[in-house]
Amino acid sequence: MKRVTSFARRLAVPTLSVITALIVGAIAIVLTDFDAYSKLGTDPVGAIAGAVGGVGKAYGSMLAGAFGDPTRIVTALQTGNPKDVASAIRPITETLVAATPYIFTGLAIAISFRAGMFNIGGDGQIRLGALAATMAAIFLAGKVASPIILLAALAAAIVAGGFWGFIPGFLKARTGAHEVITTIMLNSIASLVLFFALRSPELRAAGSSSPVSKNLQPIVDVPNIIALPTLRLDYGFVVALIMAGLVSLLLFRTTKGFELRASGFSLTAARYAGISAGGSMMLAMALSGGLAGLAGGFMVIGTVGQLSLDISGGIGFNAIALALLAGLRPSGVVAAALLFGALTQGGKLMGVQSGIPFELLIFIMALVIMFVAAPGLIRSIWRIKVAKPAAEIATVSPTGASEAGTL
Amino acid sequence: MTAATTAVAPVSGESLSARRAQSAARVRALTLFLLGVLAVWFSLNAFGIAAQFKFWINEQGGASADLTTSVGVLWIVAGIASMVVAVLQIIRGASFRWRRWLLVVIAPWVTAVLAALLNGTPAIVTNVIGGSLEASTPITMAALAGILSERSGMFNIALEGKMLVGAFVAALASSIVFMVTGNTVLATVVAIALAMLASGLLGLLLGWLGIRHKVDQIIAGTVINIGAVGITSVVFLRILQHNTEFNNPPSVGAMRIPLLADIPVLGPIMFDAKPYVYVGYILVLFLTYMIYRTRWGLRLRASGEKPAAAGTVGINVIAIRYRALFFAGLISGLAGSYLSLSTAGSFQMEMTAGKGFIGLAAMIFGGWHPIGAFFAALVFGFADAVQSLLSILGVAVPPQLLASVPYVVTIIVVAGVVGRVRGPASAGQRYEQG
Repeated sequence: MKRVTSFARRLAVPTLSVITALIVGAIAIVLTDFDAYSKLGTDPVGAIAGAVGGVGKAYGSMLAGAFGDPTRIVTALQTGNPKDVASAIRPITETLVAATPYIFTGLAIAISFRAGMFNIGGDGQIRLGALAATMAAIFLAGKVASPIILLAALAAAIVAGGFWGFIPGFLKARTGAHEVITTIMLNSIASLVLFFALRSPELRAAGSSSPVSKNLQPIVDVPNIIALPTLRLDYGFVVALIMAGLVSLLLFRTTKGFELRASGFSLTAARYAGISAGGSMMLAMALSGGLAGLAGGFMVIGTVGQLSLDISGGIGFNAIALALLAGLRPSGVVAAALLFGALTQGGKLMGVQSGIPFELLIFIMALVIMFVAAPGLIRSIWRIKVAKPAAEIATVSPTGASEAGTL
Repeated sequence: MTAATTAVAPVSGESLSARRAQSAARVRALTLFLLGVLAVWFSLNAFGIAAQFKFWINEQGGASADLTTSVGVLWIVAGIASMVVAVLQIIRGASFRWRRWLLVVIAPWVTAVLAALLNGTPAIVTNVIGGSLEASTPITMAALAGILSERSGMFNIALEGKMLVGAFVAALASSIVFMVTGNTVLATVVAIALAMLASGLLGLLLGWLGIRHKVDQIIAGTVINIGAVGITSVVFLRILQHNTEFNNPPSVGAMRIPLLADIPVLGPIMFDAKPYVYVGYILVLFLTYMIYRTRWGLRLRASGEKPAAAGTVGINVIAIRYRALFFAGLISGLAGSYLSLSTAGSFQMEMTAGKGFIGLAAMIFGGWHPIGAFFAALVFGFADAVQSLLSILGVAVPPQLLASVPYVVTIIVVAGVVGRVRGPASAGQRYEQG
């Protein structure tokens, strides 16, 4: 019983954070309803009702986009027609497809934050990982068997992302350059690198005027879990779950993981204990970059099948919200990634059906970070009694980072 | 005997580090010397290519003072400079203050590379430096905002988001006021005031999260940055994109300052520019005075260096930090309004494109001093101006390579290649007022 209540208490702040953020998002939808403003003079009740109805429509289509229509799923399963089943469960599988890169990148952010490194460079690491996987696939096409191409592309993604993550770790350890600035600069450089690479005729899709790569699907494709038409869910999702288990083992069951967490908690204390803080920084950032790179790799050779400029789509930034929401725990990352996958997938349908731009989700995610990082704020809004504020502050804010570095 | 060994031990430790410094000095000298050889080798085929630099004397397109030489001569100058510094490095050894002398090498190298890229086309230096000033102005302002907050002890990652919100509010407010009144000056003034206010309020939000709720200041700043991208994009896509009259602010153009602009050569560069540039000069001087010559500035710096000590003598550290963040917000809002009202002429999604972070790099590069930050920002502005000069002239360099220069320079600067720098001691740490 006591465990149940403490578990519920631990979930209270994240849950209420998401709910509050969605409410504020709803207010933003109402306030940006331009048609309602023009009607406000002639038909105030209708205008307000229309704007509020817009919220219902937006969030309703978001739910439908994320989970599909339950009655339709049941009837489709009863008839057993593969086409119907596929289209009925497609929203759910697409949610899992969207969750996969979030799991990888959320784990990446969790590792780096645990070690006291604010890796804001997830986007750049995803881009570089995706680019490396694309290049590996295109250059090896027809030369070796496709399972080998698959492994080589994923390895290239890990190495490239890991290298892009290692640079800020190295700079922080050696020179004290703050990783927030260096990772953001590396994000910009990564998109220019991507743009530059996509100009080359080897990578670019034949006859395409926009910078996108050739279709990689004929060369290499991660096998799908469910063999039904139009479903994209592949074994990348399973690998992501395995990675969550491995990261959990690393962080909480190994000496290296303890050293990483110790460096994140207090650099000074870690140094006195004989831990190489610089080594921890570099290792954490390289692992973090490698995981983010893997997210990019699985997208280009799996679910997306093509490299484009906006392959990362802000996942690196949203993953920060996600990792904080998860309390930097790998199991929490998986749960939060499923939520974010649902939001992302639902947000796409919301954009199509109700005309609310997908960017609203970016705003909502910023609010989620704010509320999770300031539990006192959520408690005062919802009038919750204080449980253990000190412990929570410690989990979401690695203080070690502030002790060193210039910013 | 024991006395001798104890005396020897520290000496051997010292000599180890001294030997390391000595070998590092030799590596530097060798690198510089090789750079010199390289420059001389470049010069061999370059004497035939003219290098022409034009300065406007009185006004744009009027009479010009020309410096004409050849690219080869510039390479020779760069080569000689490199070799002289290499020789100085060898003579003075480890104690040589090479970071300052590096400027002596970099300046002729940049000139020579630029002239080589231009390949005979005359470069209008007035426009390049003037363009650098204009491009550096938002960076200078962001750096000043950063200095204010960090001197008070608060990290301010949120500059980027505040500038974006400032740019957005300015474009919207200016368009609406202009639509209603038709008065350009009124529209611009109201727009800038509202943009500054909006960003100032975001500064207070940052303070409220960081001070009242003890959120890590980096996370609080990230919240504002991401949230600013989200909300401005939503409003842009829902309203401004379809109703373009709300995103059509009257543009802020150049303004000649009567007497100062008549100074030959210097006038057209410094005093025939957009009003924001002048506000930038004034802010740099004003903040230098405020931070280093007033009681307020002393208290500000005390809060950033040793807040506990400042609190002990009765300074209200928290109030100082809130005020500093508000002022920093005002300045970043002004910087943002420059982007939408003057540079681009309208609001675009994510139009700040890292300028807030480059501002932080300029702050570090400039040693947390307003005047230092001004010159540091000028370096970034120069990179920007050169980039647009070369792309206008269609020089055969991939545009992505040029575009990445400011970001690479930022990383190099933050990594302390220009020298280990030290900021306010307590910036970024939580403070409990007792």
